[in-house]
Amino acid sequence: MSNTEHPSAPPMTFAERHASQIRQVRLYAHMFRGSFSSMLGLALVIAFLFLAAFGPWIVPYPEDTLGAVHMGSRLLPPSAEHWFGTDEMGADIFSRVIVGARTSLWIGIVITGLGALVGVPLGIIAGYKGGWVRACIMRVTELFLAVPGLALALAIVASLGPGLTNCMVALAIVWWPGYVRLVEAKTLAVKEELFVESARSIGARTPWILWHHILPNCLSPIIVKMSMDMGMAILAAAGLGFIGLGAPPPAPEWGAMVSVARSYMPDWWWYSFFPGAAIFLTVLGFNLLGDGLRDILDPRSHTR
Amino acid sequence: MSDTLLDIDGYSLDIATFDGPLHVLKDINLTVRRGDTLGIVGESGSGKTVLVRSVMGIGPKNSDVKAGTITFDGQDITRLSDKGWAKIRGVRISMIFQDPMTYLNPLFSIGRQISDVIAAHERAAGEGVSPKSARRHRTEELLDQVGLPNPADLFDQYPHQLSGGMRQRVLIAMALAGKPDLLIADEPTTALDVTVQAQVLDLIKSLVKKLNLTVVMISHDIGAIATIASRCAVMYKGEIVEQGETNDILGNPQHDYTRQLLAAVPDIEAKPARLMAAEAASEAPSKPTKLLEGMNLRKVYKTRAGGEFTAVNDISLAVNTGEIFGVVGESGSGKSTLARMLLRLVDPTAGDIIFEGQNISGIAGEPLRKIRQHMQFVFQNPHSALNGRHTIGDAIGEPLRIQRTMNRRDINARTEALLDIVQLPRNFKYRYPHELSGGQKQRVCIARAIALNPRLLILDEPTSALDISVQAQVLDFLQEVRKELNLTYVFISHDLAVIRQICDRTIVMKRGDIVEQGDTEQIFLHPAEDYTKALIESGRVTSRAANMRA
Amino acid sequence: MLSFTLRKLLTVAGTMLGIAVLTFVITNIAPGDPARLVAGPNATEDMVETIRSEYGLDRPIVEQFVIYMKDLMTGDFGTSIVSTRPVLDELLRYAPATIELVLVAMLLGIVVGVPLGMLSAVYKDGPIDHVTRILSISGVALPAFWFGILMQLYFSVELGWLPVSGRLPLVARPPDMVTGSLLIDSLISGNFKTFNSALSYIILPAIVLSFPCLASILRVNRAEMIEVLQSDYIVAARAHGISSRRIVAIYALKNALLPTLAMIGLRFGWMLGSTVLVETVFDWPGIGLYAVSSALASDFKPVIGVTLLIGFLFIIANTLVDLAYAWIDPRLRRA
Repeated sequence: MSNTEHPSAPPMTFAERHASQIRQVRLYAHMFRGSFSSMLGLALVIAFLFLAAFGPWIVPYPEDTLGAVHMGSRLLPPSAEHWFGTDEMGADIFSRVIVGARTSLWIGIVITGLGALVGVPLGIIAGYKGGWVRACIMRVTELFLAVPGLALALAIVASLGPGLTNCMVALAIVWWPGYVRLVEAKTLAVKEELFVESARSIGARTPWILWHHILPNCLSPIIVKMSMDMGMAILAAAGLGFIGLGAPPPAPEWGAMVSVARSYMPDWWWYSFFPGAAIFLTVLGFNLLGDGLRDILDPRSHTR
Repeated sequence: MSDTLLDIDGYSLDIATFDGPLHVLKDINLTVRRGDTLGIVGESGSGKTVLVRSVMGIGPKNSDVKAGTITFDGQDITRLSDKGWAKIRGVRISMIFQDPMTYLNPLFSIGRQISDVIAAHERAAGEGVSPKSARRHRTEELLDQVGLPNPADLFDQYPHQLSGGMRQRVLIAMALAGKPDLLIADEPTTALDVTVQAQVLDLIKSLVKKLNLTVVMISHDIGAIATIASRCAVMYKGEIVEQGETNDILGNPQHDYTRQLLAAVPDIEAKPARLMAAEAASEAPSKPTKLLEGMNLRKVYKTRAGGEFTAVNDISLAVNTGEIFGVVGESGSGKSTLARMLLRLVDPTAGDIIFEGQNISGIAGEPLRKIRQHMQFVFQNPHSALNGRHTIGDAIGEPLRIQRTMNRRDINARTEALLDIVQLPRNFKYRYPHELSGGQKQRVCIARAIALNPRLLILDEPTSALDISVQAQVLDFLQEVRKELNLTYVFISHDLAVIRQICDRTIVMKRGDIVEQGDTEQIFLHPAEDYTKALIESGRVTSRAANMRA
Repeated sequence: MLSFTLRKLLTVAGTMLGIAVLTFVITNIAPGDPARLVAGPNATEDMVETIRSEYGLDRPIVEQFVIYMKDLMTGDFGTSIVSTRPVLDELLRYAPATIELVLVAMLLGIVVGVPLGMLSAVYKDGPIDHVTRILSISGVALPAFWFGILMQLYFSVELGWLPVSGRLPLVARPPDMVTGSLLIDSLISGNFKTFNSALSYIILPAIVLSFPCLASILRVNRAEMIEVLQSDYIVAARAHGISSRRIVAIYALKNALLPTLAMIGLRFGWMLGSTVLVETVFDWPGIGLYAVSSALASDFKPVIGVTLLIGFLFIIANTLVDLAYAWIDPRLRRA
């Protein structure tokens, strides 16, 4: 064996050792900054997260978000005092919309998180194992995907009974199959790569391969989908709220607010306009962010 | 016939990237006269494809012409509008592409694609489009001209129904559809099997003569260039280092790079060095012991249509300890499947594998894992054999982490030692695969394979994804490693010159069967099968061209 | 080809069976007592018991399942509590309105989405591309119910151009039922006045329903076109002198159409689901509105009926997409 001892070079600095990662991050940042829509998405999401975190402390009328009634100031149009006007109970819509951000964030995290938590492992196992394991998982997945999500969620909520928690449960139940299908397809592709075979040839066990080789290479589309899904889950939950199956009225939930406001159309337009706009901007933000992330992380796969 | 058709004068081109502009072409000067056949030789990254694509106005995006001009038949086409190109591209300059699979639209029939090209040319010439039946007739004529059987049936077939060689002929027919003044061929045979390569080259050669074509052909294969081109240019890192008559350049190369390139092509005629060394030592070889045996191995795949496809058909072989065992065959001959079966990466449908006296065809789980440290695989394509998300250090250390209970420091030390063995700098352990060249990546793969001190290495075309000059280095290096670590190799290749140089015994495979086997030198000197003869003959073309100099 | 069709039919049957099982599971996931839920909060014990035996809820779960499946096979979807009519009758009454709405919206999405996607791919990073990008991303993000309300506010209330909600004015006499689609039926009977009025009613809900669909068709078509236009065979077609217009309109479009078709199938199902929102906003008398009003009244059988029907329609649409795939792609034909 050649024992040519290399002259001990000076130890490398952190920046030198990780030069390629640093370059990669800089490249991502450069690409992301170059896109107006990605930056807009990021700004909207940051604003939303800020409101969700600090909403209750910065709103002008905190008590209005808990169902306070001011009969003297019912249905006032937007003004300096009430930026978004007031509702039929005289509550400040601006305050209620801002506090609603927290509910929406919670909805988005729970549904997306549960969906990914269930769907990703199932997808990886189905894609890697093949055979009857895959057949079983994919059959069930396809079954759930065979009924449009909102229709299935409606049936589940109808069975469980209305309420915000039940809405989230129902949407989580219809959400995971999307991850299974995405991750399964990606796993099938990654599985064929030589490095997976190479890992098998050195005697790696299946869990090692899944964790070290398959999962890291599936991560980009998962991150993109989760970002998109934060928006889509909020949108779906708002839809159920609008139908009247979500949070009961005094709770500041955006979909439910639009639902109540519909009976005050068209004269008191601001009542439905602002909560709806909040949904729109939030979903738009997450979608733009996801789209921007896809452009830099996963440029080749683009179909939703 | 001496008027200038294409004149490239002082042409320089940059491509903009995140890390700044890349100087892809530097001061290119080339002249092609009517009736010329010019070959451009170069390895990957030499800029030859960018150059010919610029001539057709289909160069890469973000490219920027820094200086110089391209003149075609007296017209400056350096910066032509789309409208201007419509009269030239495909009409007066036509192109044959590298990979016939991806260059044909999968959703349209062969006939439709060719007759559309004919219609486009008629439109460009302002003649008005001829009726469908006339175009069909002309299409069938073209298909016949490129030597395809039953043009009438072929007209309605789709690309996926044809073999690679047939598809390449279709692409040639398409390129000839407009009776072009200049035909550009971009590695027209690289994606094909060696025996098919020879046929396609013959076809191009006969067409050149018959139709009096002017041809620019680029290739990394010196044999292909020598077959077709009367003049040739050598490209290296975006520059033309040498140009002139093909015979002069091959017989008397002036530039260092050309010499290196020619020297790197293995000589199929040369008597292998190993035999000469063995004769000199005149040592009686000790009685061989069998390290690995395959007995009646068979692999049958189920096709999607429900049929069966036999990849490997009842093959038996024995590999002796310390030898290099060659497996030769074209794509689809089952040699890769065989290799994977020997390592149990693919489960055989039938048959036994015996490694050091132990039957390993039935074992699974922990025993299989344990046996794997003794036998390792080096894959054909180092670019995809390394996980892009792991550093080189992780990749080399992975087998140690899986098979040994070593602490982090020992693994680190061993990784550095392995990097020394494969002659790569130690700080490469922080790098990622995409930062390394092909040859460097293959060294990393080899380091990974020898990390566990295996006894057997199966090498599946370890050099075919690499450039010729790198190929030679990796082959030499593999020999060294073998000597140092006392390894046994199973060496799979389609390149017979390489096989002759290094393998002791060889089997020749065709469609899942062994057609010939025995001592390598015997097979070369006295091939019994036509198939083997054809393989050797196709290897000779390149070898001869590269060894014209005395 | 015959075995292909046969296999498709088997898949459809299998999936329908699966959906039936799924709906049965959903009916039984509720932790509470379904009989009590149906009976309402003020019911006495006796009433709950009566309902329990009437619905067969006192029998073992397997037996309930067998009865449920048997009923479905014979077309018995149960009875609506609110209207006391068979669910199947009501589904058949409401379905044509929904199908008409979804098909008109789908048509709108394809007719506008595909060409716009093509244009923005060809003029990538140009002004058209920027406009369509904003359009497509905001289209997916728009809450359908809120967008519907805004459209009503502007086009119906502010401008007074179109009716606010409903399917036909109360005074209008609907044409004789032939296909169930008011637009087609009124054309068949030559009643152009009814046709115009039906058209004016369907425009707003169709636009609102189709907007997200249009957006995603546009996006997929654009992305696919961009990818196809960079592919080797398009480079080759360009090098062989085929004109740019022909390449885009014939060669590339056909290749890009395959993933777009998949998206159309997907979005068809999405639209069927979204009818629950859009029909609520526009008081469109379809199955979506029927499902919502039943769900709010804790009337469970109709909700399950609608779920089954929507699942069935979605499967039919997917099968049609599969057939179209095989028609376009020769590689799939021989199977």
